[in-house]
Amino acid sequence: MIDPAIEGMELSTIRFPVERGKLAELARALHEEDPAWHDSGAATAAGFAQLPVPPTVTALVDHWRAGGPLADVTAIGIDARRLLHGEAAWEYLAPVRVGDELTAVARVAGVSRREGRRGGAMTFVTIETEFTNQHAEPVVRRRDTLIETEAA
Amino acid sequence: MTLPAAPVALAAGDEMPTEAVGPLTRTDFVRYAGAGGDFNPLHHDDELARAAGRPSVFGMGMLHAGMLGTRLARWVGPDNVRSYTVRFTGQVWPGDVLSLDGRVDAVEPGEGLPVARLSLTVTRQTGEVVLRATASAAVAAT
Repeated sequence: MIDPAIEGMELSTIRFPVERGKLAELARALHEEDPAWHDSGAATAAGFAQLPVPPTVTALVDHWRAGGPLADVTAIGIDARRLLHGEAAWEYLAPVRVGDELTAVARVAGVSRREGRRGGAMTFVTIETEFTNQHAEPVVRRRDTLIETEAA
Repeated sequence: MTLPAAPVALAAGDEMPTEAVGPLTRTDFVRYAGAGGDFNPLHHDDELARAAGRPSVFGMGMLHAGMLGTRLARWVGPDNVRSYTVRFTGQVWPGDVLSLDGRVDAVEPGEGLPVARLSLTVTRQTGEVVLRATASAAVAAT
C-alpha cells in the first residue's frame, strides 16, 4: 500500500556517464545493426559530428542507482512483484552525447488510486526526472507512470 | 537504411518502414537487462514470475519502447526527435514477433523547422497492440 503522502517526495539524485560501451550494448539489445550507433567512424561517415544516442538512452541511469535499479520504487513503497510500467514520456531539450556526465534528479509528481477493470484498486505514481549535463544544461525531461496492481 | 543526421522531409500520411523483430527469446530480455539496467526478476526469473501469477517471464517495457524509439530515430534522425511518449497496453512474451509501425499524422510549423506529429505502435503476432506511442520530430522544410 502506497502512502499518498509521498507526493512531492524527492528521490535519488544520480550522476552517471554516457559511455560508448553501454551505447553499443544498448544498440545490440534493441536489435540495431547500424554501426553508426557506436562506431565513431561510421557515425562520421553518416554525417554526425559525434555519436548519436537512442531516444531511451537515459535508461542507463538505472545502472548507477545506489541500492539497485528498483531502489526508488522500493523507497516509495511499491511492491515490485505488482509493479507495472504504465507510461513513459521523454522531452528532448538538448542533445546527449557520448562522454557526457548526466545528473538525474527525480521526484514523485503525483499519486492517485483508481478502481481497476477487474475490481481491484490500482495506485498510479507519477515520477518526473530531469537530466542535466556536465554544463548544467537540461537535456532530457522524463515522466513515468508506475502502477501498483491490487494484491493477489 | 542509414541513420539520418539531418532532418528529413515528411508529409502527413507518410509511413515509417515497417520492421518485424523476433521471435524474442529470454536471452533478448537478459541482454536488455544488462544493457539498460532493469534487473526486475519478473523479466528473467521464470520461477519467480510464475509464483507471482504470470505464465512466464515477460519483456520489460523499455525493451520494446527502446526498439520502437530507435526505429523512430532511424526514420526521422536521432537528433531531430523532440518528444517521445509511450503507453504500455500489453506485455511481450518469449517467442513473440513484434511489428514496429509508425505514421505521420500532421506536419505543423515550428520554431525554425516544421514539426511532424507521429503515431507509432508495437504489435504482437496475435494482433495485440502492446505499446502505443506519439512523438514529435523536427523535419526538413519543403
